[in-house]
Amino acid sequence: MSDKKHIDRLFQERFKDFEATPSDAVWENIEAELNKKKKKRRVIPIWWRYAGVAALLMLLLTINGLFNGNDSEDLPTNQVVETEDVNLEKSNTTEDNNSTINIEKEDKIIDIEDDAVAESNAEKESAEKASETKIDNTQKDITPSNETSVAENSNSKLKNEGTQKSQMPSNKKSNISEAIVKTENTTVVAQNSKEKNKETIQNKNESPQIDINKANEIINNSTKNNTAIAEVKPNDISTDAITKTEAIADNSTKENTLTIEEALEKNKDIIEEEKDENINRWSIAPNAAPVYFSSLGEGSSIDPQFNNNSKSGELNMSYGIKASYAVNNKLSIRTGINKVNLGYNTNNVVVFQSISSSSNLLQNVNTNSNTAADAVSIISGNSLNSSKSPEAFTKSSNTSINQDMGYIEVPLEIQYALTNKKLGVNLIGGFSSFFLNKNEIFSEVAGSRTLLGEANNINKVSYSANLGVGLNYKVSKKIDLNFEPMFKYQINTFNNTSGNFKPYFIGVYTGFAIKF
Amino acid sequence: MSLNQLIENCRINDTKAQGELYKLFSSKLFSVCLKYSRNYAEAEDNLQDAFLTIFDKIEQYKSKGSFEGWLKRITINTVLQRYRNEKVFDIINENVADEVEIEIDEDHIPLEYLLKIIQELPDRYRLVFNLYVLDGYSHKEIADMLNINIGTSKSNLARARQTLKDTIENYKTRQSLQSL
Repeated sequence: MSDKKHIDRLFQERFKDFEATPSDAVWENIEAELNKKKKKRRVIPIWWRYAGVAALLMLLLTINGLFNGNDSEDLPTNQVVETEDVNLEKSNTTEDNNSTINIEKEDKIIDIEDDAVAESNAEKESAEKASETKIDNTQKDITPSNETSVAENSNSKLKNEGTQKSQMPSNKKSNISEAIVKTENTTVVAQNSKEKNKETIQNKNESPQIDINKANEIINNSTKNNTAIAEVKPNDISTDAITKTEAIADNSTKENTLTIEEALEKNKDIIEEEKDENINRWSIAPNAAPVYFSSLGEGSSIDPQFNNNSKSGELNMSYGIKASYAVNNKLSIRTGINKVNLGYNTNNVVVFQSISSSSNLLQNVNTNSNTAADAVSIISGNSLNSSKSPEAFTKSSNTSINQDMGYIEVPLEIQYALTNKKLGVNLIGGFSSFFLNKNEIFSEVAGSRTLLGEANNINKVSYSANLGVGLNYKVSKKIDLNFEPMFKYQINTFNNTSGNFKPYFIGVYTGFAIKF
Repeated sequence: MSLNQLIENCRINDTKAQGELYKLFSSKLFSVCLKYSRNYAEAEDNLQDAFLTIFDKIEQYKSKGSFEGWLKRITINTVLQRYRNEKVFDIINENVADEVEIEIDEDHIPLEYLLKIIQELPDRYRLVFNLYVLDGYSHKEIADMLNINIGTSKSNLARARQTLKDTIENYKTRQSLQSL
């Protein structure tokens, strides 16, 4: 009974049917943990919350952007409605309530302020529309109900604009005030976000005077980022509107949390799994890319007459930094900030000197009055034959219009690893928000560029849907080299394009990632 | 209730079904834990963690392949996770390609004793020995699971065998001395 035996066999045989019963305490612990987990499941991990906040911010910006977009479309219809009465009313109130400001500031500034007031009202109006309150713009009744006063304000603003700014294109100004309103709105919403004042809806019977007064106050305050905004009385119309925006925001938060929870449920396993792995979750990747801008359809962002002109995209650079977080070894979420310049040329245009410059202004361009550009007219070479003959005509061949845009891009993308070897292949999808920081249009004649002005139809904030493939080569445990061709389809870059202009750009992002 | 039905019920977090499942498989999986852990207490901890992972991931189980095999894999992974990252003093030459047959006299040695000496092996030796000898993983698989080289796995195994053999022989000597 003492044959020599390989030690492996000895253990294998002896342990073949080995079983052992653990103590009851083990199951009790497991049961307790399981119950705890059922509750814990609702707890949202911190980074999900951040993602939620980011998504909420995006949503707010989108809502804002949409409302601004609506404004420009609403204006023409409102213009029909304007009445002398309202105008009087308006100027009265302006004098009454802005008297202090009148003393301090020049007419123009007030003009802008009025603009802003009206714009903000118009915005709130859309906000109210969104919350399904029917507003009758045509109502001229001065009986001060909330809705009418809003409508009146925007009408009278139009009148003001019409009379005071007669020939000057007002777009620039309204752009500025729009921007002001935008920041204001965001601040207000942010500051109010913790408040839950529901009583505000009661008092709609406020005179327009006070409305304007309050609105002005808000604008003044918001530039100083004052907390006074939060203290605006509940019977104030604007607070009312804000509350509504807030409600929208609240709803979206709810939605967000819902989706987050759902996603959480789904990803639970994945999240759990990540604990198993000891990987470097975070990485930072500086990157640079040549980007090529172009459009999918025929059309023009500048003027309808260029719809059929040939366009050529420009090669520009984008550079920035990305941070990514690996949820598990397959999936990572990344964001970052990138500076990106885009541009394209509209070819075959004719530039000529003309005395009556305004007659040939391009639809979507605010000319720069400081240059000689206002004496220049531009038409498409295609329509040259049919066009009326200009006074001083100097045809220059090889002329093109060059549109340049600069953006700060904030992407939010998901990266899925197809293979995870030394050379990894990833699929990347997501979206980017773009914040405009450069907007110029040049005419380019044989290499020399003249600034014409800026486009008035580029949205300050726009988005893109991103899709790409990423290759990464693991140089070491800490460093990856990245190579990512990306396609970014732009959404609401322009708010008034002609033809079928669908801009996109392609970038080949290269860089290295440092993991930690 | 069939096993499939039980699994289904576990997927919807039915506590009763989870209890059933535990009853069915706990002793089998506890034996795995005992072999892979340092002692009884840690084995119980590991069993607990393993079951929590099992209930958590049970919806990922695709009804192909043996359910028991799946449970066992999760259990082993749970244990590996605990010990894999603990530092082992690799003072030995890892290149000892030691495929010498280690033979031993088959006397009756109590199972408890064999278990005890496995548990007393250094972490890495114990894991490699269990994976290779008792659970039939290849050196390549072990190397992947433990994040080590194949060579390291082989030398760890050789070291484990040697240690076990020495311990058993010491034990036997003591036994025979006692019986004298």
